[in-house]
Amino acid sequence: MTQRKRLSNSHSSSQSKRQSGNLVSQEEDDDSTFTQPSTLQVQRGLEKLTTAQVDQKTAEVVQYFLVKDQKKIPVRRADLVKHVVKDYRNIYPEIIKRAARVFDQVFGLKLVEIDAKNHMYILINKLEKVDGALPIKSPANPKMGLLFVILGVIFMKGGVVRENLIWNTLKKLRVDSGEKHEEFGDVKKVITDEFVRQRYLEYVRIPHTEPIEHEFRWGQRADMEVSKAKILEFMGELHEQDPQSWTQQYKEAHSVPGSTQAGTSSQR
Amino acid sequence: MKRTRGGGDEEAPRQNGSVGRKKGDPQQSEADDGGSTLGPADLQDDDNDPGLRREIRSKYRDLINSVQQNREDMLSPSNNKLTEVLEEANKLFKDVRQAREAALDAQLLVVATDLGKEKASQLFAEGTAFDHIAFAERLLSFMGLNRLEDGEDDQQNRGGIDGYLPKDAWHRVARRAESCFMTAPAFHYMMGSFHAEPPPPKQKIERQRKAPSKEAARIMPTQLKKMEGSHQEATEKEVERILGYLKSYYQDDPTSPISYYEFVIDPNSFSRTVENIFHTSFLIRDGLARMYLDDDKLPCIAPVEEGEVEAGGSWSRKQCIISISPKIWRELIDAFDIRDTLIQPQNTQTE
Repeated sequence: MTQRKRLSNSHSSSQSKRQSGNLVSQEEDDDSTFTQPSTLQVQRGLEKLTTAQVDQKTAEVVQYFLVKDQKKIPVRRADLVKHVVKDYRNIYPEIIKRAARVFDQVFGLKLVEIDAKNHMYILINKLEKVDGALPIKSPANPKMGLLFVILGVIFMKGGVVRENLIWNTLKKLRVDSGEKHEEFGDVKKVITDEFVRQRYLEYVRIPHTEPIEHEFRWGQRADMEVSKAKILEFMGELHEQDPQSWTQQYKEAHSVPGSTQAGTSSQR
Repeated sequence: MKRTRGGGDEEAPRQNGSVGRKKGDPQQSEADDGGSTLGPADLQDDDNDPGLRREIRSKYRDLINSVQQNREDMLSPSNNKLTEVLEEANKLFKDVRQAREAALDAQLLVVATDLGKEKASQLFAEGTAFDHIAFAERLLSFMGLNRLEDGEDDQQNRGGIDGYLPKDAWHRVARRAESCFMTAPAFHYMMGSFHAEPPPPKQKIERQRKAPSKEAARIMPTQLKKMEGSHQEATEKEVERILGYLKSYYQDDPTSPISYYEFVIDPNSFSRTVENIFHTSFLIRDGLARMYLDDDKLPCIAPVEEGEVEAGGSWSRKQCIISISPKIWRELIDAFDIRDTLIQPQNTQTE
């Protein structure tokens, strides 16, 4: 009952159904059989290429990620291999390694694989935000606020909530899932579709419910990108309470010292 | 087949798998193992009474529906409704004889178990519980909700909620919430993208330029040669001309030394003075003239005799740098009372 159900979407459905073989497939179109080449294969592959070639391919991968990340939809390894890496797939691990280094050293970003099974990547910010010292005041995306409310409630309620709880909370905030909202438009779609595709949320069906009900959990991106400690801090400010007064949540938020990730398995 | 009551909110509801009777045989009647006070005679009648069977099934369905419809209600920790449902089910179960009813019982069990799990998870919050409605209220204040005074507008707003939310309400929340996110900033070009079409006018300009450049190329070399030549020749000519002046002045009066300053300075033009100095220096360099200091320690210049030219090679050569500024030039003119230039300027431009 407590097992996380992966919402099968159009991205990963084809991949999960196939079985990945043990050989490195050279077919251009069937990338779901792409298997990680061995270290020896990578080494041999590198010997046949110049540094300039490898650097060029790395740069292409970096650019692909940067543009894809604009929408915050995770990048699938299959797409990456098919559209960018192509013939260099035999040195794929090396390219990813180099790209990660570029992100780290040049952009201050972290390349993270959020789904080890379906091989999806996201970019997150490595740098600590400095309060009030931002020289460029870019306008805040109101969807962040919406996301905060949902993620915050889920977290404070132990990691899983039924969807009605969320809809009721939002209704109180004048966001009605049944009506078009001034700021967010089709609220239901934004929350159950966009946020889910971006992996901020998981929207899973509760079994045996009639009519069908779903529950919300934190998504894989949220696990990496969102700081539970900071959410708790904000909650404390709002409620004029010490964050530590929520002992369970406080413990979970600070379970991994210095990290924003709470262990996913600890969420019931 | 003892059933434990789903007592309290913390425990999981009744034990599963406690149904002991065979399900595969709908017609067979079996005695209830425990807690039943029915005698064998009664069982016979109940087994076959379709009305009773239907009634039992209907009651089960009602129970299932009530659990599903009132889920929210059942979940509330403030009541024991779930327990009541289970107690009802317990009572019903005593009359269950057939598989169809048992199946419904099982279904109710599943639904109730789910609910039970939900209730258990509600107890998650140790310490202070989190009230999502209170949270929403506080967030509204944070957003800057203007709670209107009583009696004004309250019925017209949605759902009777009073107050007016400012336009940037969600922006405020987002602003504050941003720090909770380690989002990678979205990539975009700083200056925007360039317009990819090549501008047509540029091509025209290129064509026009091509025509004159060909002719110009032909003319240029000849002109340049002339210029080159005139440059060098002009200097040589000038130097020779000055030498001529020097010699003629010297021959006029060989004994009288020619003051250097008087020789080079043109009181009418500072730039010509500089040119004269420049050209005179060639004479000195080539050993065609010499400079010396007279008794008053003033520089004088004299041409070198023909015979002396070669002997001049044995003399020690000295270098000196002469500088002159307009101020000094004027001072010299005053000091030496130079009224006219000794070196007549050429009429043609030699620059």
